[in-house]
Amino acid sequence: MKLVDKFTLWFLGITMVIIPINSVITYYSIKREIDKSAIERLKHVNVRVAEQIGKGQPPAEYTAGCRVLYAKTDTAFAADHYVITERDVTQDPLLNDNDRKIIVTSYHNIHNQYYRITSGDYVSRSEQILAGLRISIMWKLIILVAMVVLTARVASRVVLAPFNGTIKKLQLFNLKSKKRLVLPETRTKEFKELNLFVKKMTDKAVDDYSSLKEFSENASHELQTPLAIIRSKLELLSESDIQGDQAVLIADMNNAVEKLTRINRSLVLLSRLENNEYEATEEVPFDQYTKEALGAFCDLIALKELTVKSSIEEPVCLKLHASLADILLNNLLSNAIRHNMPGGTIEVILNREFLMVKNTGKAPENPTSEMFQRFKKGSQCNNSIGIGLSIVKQICDMNSFEIQYHYTSGLHILIVNFPPESHSSKLLQNDERYLHERIQL
Amino acid sequence: MKVLLIEDNEELASSISEFLGREGYICEVSYNITDAQDKLISFQYDCVLLDIMLPDGNGLQLLSFIRTERIQSSILILSAKNSLDDKIAGLEEGADDYLTKPFHLPELHARLRAIYRRKKLNGSNVIAFNEISLNIDTLEATVNGQLLDMTRKEFDLLLYFVVNKNRVLSRQSIAAHLWGDYTDNFANFDFVYQHVKNIRKKISAANGTDYIGTVYGLGYKFNTSKQ
Repeated sequence: MKLVDKFTLWFLGITMVIIPINSVITYYSIKREIDKSAIERLKHVNVRVAEQIGKGQPPAEYTAGCRVLYAKTDTAFAADHYVITERDVTQDPLLNDNDRKIIVTSYHNIHNQYYRITSGDYVSRSEQILAGLRISIMWKLIILVAMVVLTARVASRVVLAPFNGTIKKLQLFNLKSKKRLVLPETRTKEFKELNLFVKKMTDKAVDDYSSLKEFSENASHELQTPLAIIRSKLELLSESDIQGDQAVLIADMNNAVEKLTRINRSLVLLSRLENNEYEATEEVPFDQYTKEALGAFCDLIALKELTVKSSIEEPVCLKLHASLADILLNNLLSNAIRHNMPGGTIEVILNREFLMVKNTGKAPENPTSEMFQRFKKGSQCNNSIGIGLSIVKQICDMNSFEIQYHYTSGLHILIVNFPPESHSSKLLQNDERYLHERIQL
Repeated sequence: MKVLLIEDNEELASSISEFLGREGYICEVSYNITDAQDKLISFQYDCVLLDIMLPDGNGLQLLSFIRTERIQSSILILSAKNSLDDKIAGLEEGADDYLTKPFHLPELHARLRAIYRRKKLNGSNVIAFNEISLNIDTLEATVNGQLLDMTRKEFDLLLYFVVNKNRVLSRQSIAAHLWGDYTDNFANFDFVYQHVKNIRKKISAANGTDYIGTVYGLGYKFNTSKQ
C-alpha cells in the first residue's frame, strides 16, 4: 500500500468518527437555538398580552398566528416566572401532521390581580432538523473525501518527490560503477536526514568496496610474485647438480608452493565473487561447457578407470559468466573424480532445470551441512584444499541457483537447480523502466 | 634470441634472466617503464617480457609505445593479474601471449619459443632433434621418418620436452603446461607419469632413442647426451 493511500485512509477514518460526533453537537445546538428563540418570542407575546390586559384592551386571541390563553388566578408568582412546557402533538387533525409545540406560561400581576397567560408555538421537530443535517453531512462527506483523495495525490507528488527521488537513485545504485550517490535536494527535515544517512551509508559502501577490490588485487599481486620467485628458484635449483634426497626435498617444496598457489588463487577468486565482479551479461551454452569440461577431464577419468554416464539435454542456456560456468563445472567434476574410488562411476545429468553430478565414493566423515564452508573437507583427501565447493556455493548464490548435496546408497549426489524461466524473465525486467513504474504514485 | 625483460621484482628478474641465459638467450633487464623505453628505442629485441604492474605505471602503456614507435618485437605479458578481462585487455593491446604468475620457467621458455616460431620462422613449422621431428602445423610427430600415433596431449608433451632439452621438468610444470588452469583441481599428477610412459613406449616402438629420463623425486628430463 502506498504511503499516500495510508494517510488518506487514516484521514478518512478520523473523518468518519468526527462527522457523527459533529452532527450530534450540531443537532443539539440547532435545536436549542430554535427552542430558545421560540421561547423568547412567546415570552414577549405574554408580556404584550399582559400589557394589553393592563390597559383594559382585550388581547387578541391570536398573536403572531398563535393562540394565547389568559385566565385570572389566585396563585402568586414572581413577575419573571415562566413555565415552559414542550409537547409533541401526536396528530394535528387539521394539518394531518404531527408536530412539536413549545408552550410558555407566565404569571403577571395586573392591577393586583394575577393572570396566567399561556402562549404556544410550533417549532421544527428533531426529524426535520435531522433531515436537514443528513443532507449537509452527505455533501460534507462527499466533498471532503474527494478533496482528501485529490489533494493527497497531488500534494504527495510534490511533498514526497525528494523521497521518491532518493528511492529511485538507490534502486539504480550500483556498487560496481563506484559512482557516489547524488541525492535530490530537499527542505523536508525527515528527508534531509534520510538522504544524509543514505549518502553516508552508500559512500562507505563505495569506499569499502574499492578498498576491498584493491586488497584482492594487491593480495593477488603481492602473493603471486613471491610465489613466482620461490618457484623459479626451486626450478633453477633442481637443474643444478643435486643428490637424490635433496631432490625429494625440492619436490616437497614444489608441492607446498603449488598448494599455496592454489589456495591464493582460490581465495582471490572467492573475494572477487563476493565483490560481484563476474556479472552475467549474456546467456552461455551450458551444455557445450559441460561437454568440454567432461572432455578435459577424460585423462583423469581414464586414469582412475571411472565409468562416465552423461545425459546432456540440448540446448541449455544459462545467464552465467563464462568463467564462472567453467569454474563451476571444473570444481564439480574434479570433486567427483577426486572423491571417487578406482573403477567407480560418475553420472552427469543436465537439463533445463538442474545439473546433477552423481559419483561413487566413501561416505563423508564430516557433517554434510558443513560441506559448503571454506576449508571443511568431506574427507581428508590429500592435496585437496577444501575450498572448491565453497566457490561452487558462492557461484550458485550469486546467480540464484540452488545447490543441494545428498549421500545415499554409496553415491554422492550434488544437484544445482537453475531458476525457472519465468523467474529469470522477471529478473530481466528489473530495468530502469520497471523500477520507475513501481515507484510511480 | 635477444630478450628484454621488464620486471620490477629484482629477485624474479634475476631468476628469469639466469634461466634464459642458460638457454643461450641474451637477456636484458629493465626495472621500470622509462628505462625500458630507452632500451627499446636504442636496441632491437626479438621478444619483450613485460610485467603489467610496474613502479612507474601500467605495463600496458608500453604496448602502445611499442606500437607507435613501430618496434618489431614480440610481446609476452607476465602478470599476477589472472582475470579474463586483464588477459583480453593485454592481448587486444597487441601482446602475443599472456602468462600469469606464478609460472613455471620451462613454461615461459616453451611460450617464448612458440612466439619466436610464429613471428620469425615463417614457413618452418618443424622442430627437429636428431631422429625426432615435430610438425607444429599438422601436429605430426615422426621418429626416423616413421609417423607416431600420438594424442594431442602426448604431442604437446613431447614438444615441451624438446623445447626444454636437458632441463628438469617437474610433474607440476608439465601438468600446468598441458592442462592449464584445470590443474588447480588435480589431486595428483599420476596422469603425467602415464603420458610420459606412453611417449617413451611409442618412441621406442619406432626404434627411436628414449631420451626421456626420470629425475628421482622431481620429474623428468630430456637428455640430449643419451645415444
